[in-house]
Amino acid sequence: MFDQNEIVLEARHVTRRFPTASGKLLLANNDINLKFYKGKTLGLVGESGCGKSTFMRFLVSLDTPSEGEILYRGQDITKLKGEALRQNRQNIQMVFQDPNASFNPKMKIRDIVCEPLLNFGRIRKGEKDAACRRLLEMVELPGDFADRYPHNMSGGQRQRVAIARALALEPEILIMDEATAALDVSVQKTIVELVTKLQREKEIAIGFICHDIALVQSLSHQVAVMYLGTIVEVLPGEDLWKKARHPYTRALIGSVFDTHMDFSVPIQPLQSEVPSPLDTPPGCPFQTRCDHCTERCRRERPTLKTIGQGHEVACHLYNEEYKR
Amino acid sequence: MLEIKNITVCYGDRPTVRDFSMNLKQGQIASLVGESGSGKTTVIRAVLGLLPGGGRVSEGDILFDGKSLLQNTPMEWRKLRGSEISMIFQDSGAMLNPIRRIGDGFVEYIRTHEEISKQEAWKKGTAMLEKMRLAGAENIMQSYPFQLSGGMRQRVGIAMAMTYDPKLLLADEPTSALDVTTQAQIVRQMMELRDTYGTSIIVVTHNLGVAAYMSDNIVVMRRGQIEDQGDRAHILSHSENAYTRTLLDAVPSLGGLRYV
Repeated sequence: MFDQNEIVLEARHVTRRFPTASGKLLLANNDINLKFYKGKTLGLVGESGCGKSTFMRFLVSLDTPSEGEILYRGQDITKLKGEALRQNRQNIQMVFQDPNASFNPKMKIRDIVCEPLLNFGRIRKGEKDAACRRLLEMVELPGDFADRYPHNMSGGQRQRVAIARALALEPEILIMDEATAALDVSVQKTIVELVTKLQREKEIAIGFICHDIALVQSLSHQVAVMYLGTIVEVLPGEDLWKKARHPYTRALIGSVFDTHMDFSVPIQPLQSEVPSPLDTPPGCPFQTRCDHCTERCRRERPTLKTIGQGHEVACHLYNEEYKR
Repeated sequence: MLEIKNITVCYGDRPTVRDFSMNLKQGQIASLVGESGSGKTTVIRAVLGLLPGGGRVSEGDILFDGKSLLQNTPMEWRKLRGSEISMIFQDSGAMLNPIRRIGDGFVEYIRTHEEISKQEAWKKGTAMLEKMRLAGAENIMQSYPFQLSGGMRQRVGIAMAMTYDPKLLLADEPTSALDVTTQAQIVRQMMELRDTYGTSIIVVTHNLGVAAYMSDNIVVMRRGQIEDQGDRAHILSHSENAYTRTLLDAVPSLGGLRYV
């Protein structure tokens, strides 16, 4: 379903361990392989602490993995240093969860959205007004917002400014880390509409991190589900709720409160909590919470197997390889 | 049991909530939904007399079991809070003292409500945690708030609020800080409280899915006023209010609208 020639970014065998005070190693990312396609969205879902933000930080070169490589147009960006690293930042930009914390409160909107352009010498100082107006128009904000400070704006407006800043350099890849989590649902909807519209116009590849599986499936071309640092399932966004196979993905789907659901059926949440990533047991990471856990799951770690078109799952229950 | 009659709440001179009314019967769950800044939290804080920074109810009345709460003296409030009416906050961890163990905080809480020895209070606290199905209650009593996960802290908060079997439980965004699977656990637990103890609950939430699942009645608020009000079926399926419909349409749903 995706054109293999259109891969813009590829993570290969990315693993990240953090040393802890007690001398143990915390395994935040375990052998992650994901591909980003031109103009497509990859949604990454999982609960807090599963390592999704850690992974996305590698893509924007805010951190480097312990092992593995991240290829942008064939070049490993984890090895970049100095000026080459700085130049590479033009290609991959990020929108954060809390726009308040990612803006300098003393800078005007004009300076905020034009800073990247000035940094890379794309415009001269005299052209700031025009550039700012153009960027604000792109995110459907009035041009006279240029003279405002971030605190003069609502959360949704601030997030639009954050998107304008991230897209100022016309990057090929945009990473959005819980970018709509702090917003009201109606505002969230308008931001999602804006982002998907811009994506169609500019063919941006988007990495969308989110804990809300219903939101993720509504805007992603492919969805990756993460649990305890491991990708447990990758599947196309459409029909996710029908085709998802992994017990964890099914549990996530089962935990969604929907206004159209049948209220007479009691919701069946997963009992128990996510185990600590400090001592992950051998075998399947999900074994402690899974209803279908067998002897084999405790012994042997399942690997991702292709079971359908663009559909991979890491579970011992699904073993038949998909034949093309 | 609870009657809120046309209240207006002001901070300084500016009315934040205007002409708000709702009724709640024993064993009912009602939710207040709306966007941030719509005055949801102000309403339930007014019920418990906990309006911050000079806020006051300038008009209307709040009746709890037929008695007005607005004329309560500090002593009367002390008797009421925590025993007749309790509250759960968004992050119960923020309510607990970070440098004291859960048990120490819990013992203090119990001993402000009744005169019992520390040992007895500790036992009572442990029993309460067990009743809320927290595994390893003794262990939790010995822990510091930061050692517990968000879901466990929230359950501790619920256990503390339920210690004196309150008639009314006020919950301010009780699941907003939690993961989806934990959210489902807490929602289910709160509904079990109603079924087991007959507690009436008012939930403030911005999550319409949660509100729809839990509540008998839903109040939609906007800019400090009631925009729409009714039982669940009415709000979800039959309401003709444009704002309610906008809110409902914005909730992402599995198998619903796709943008790509």
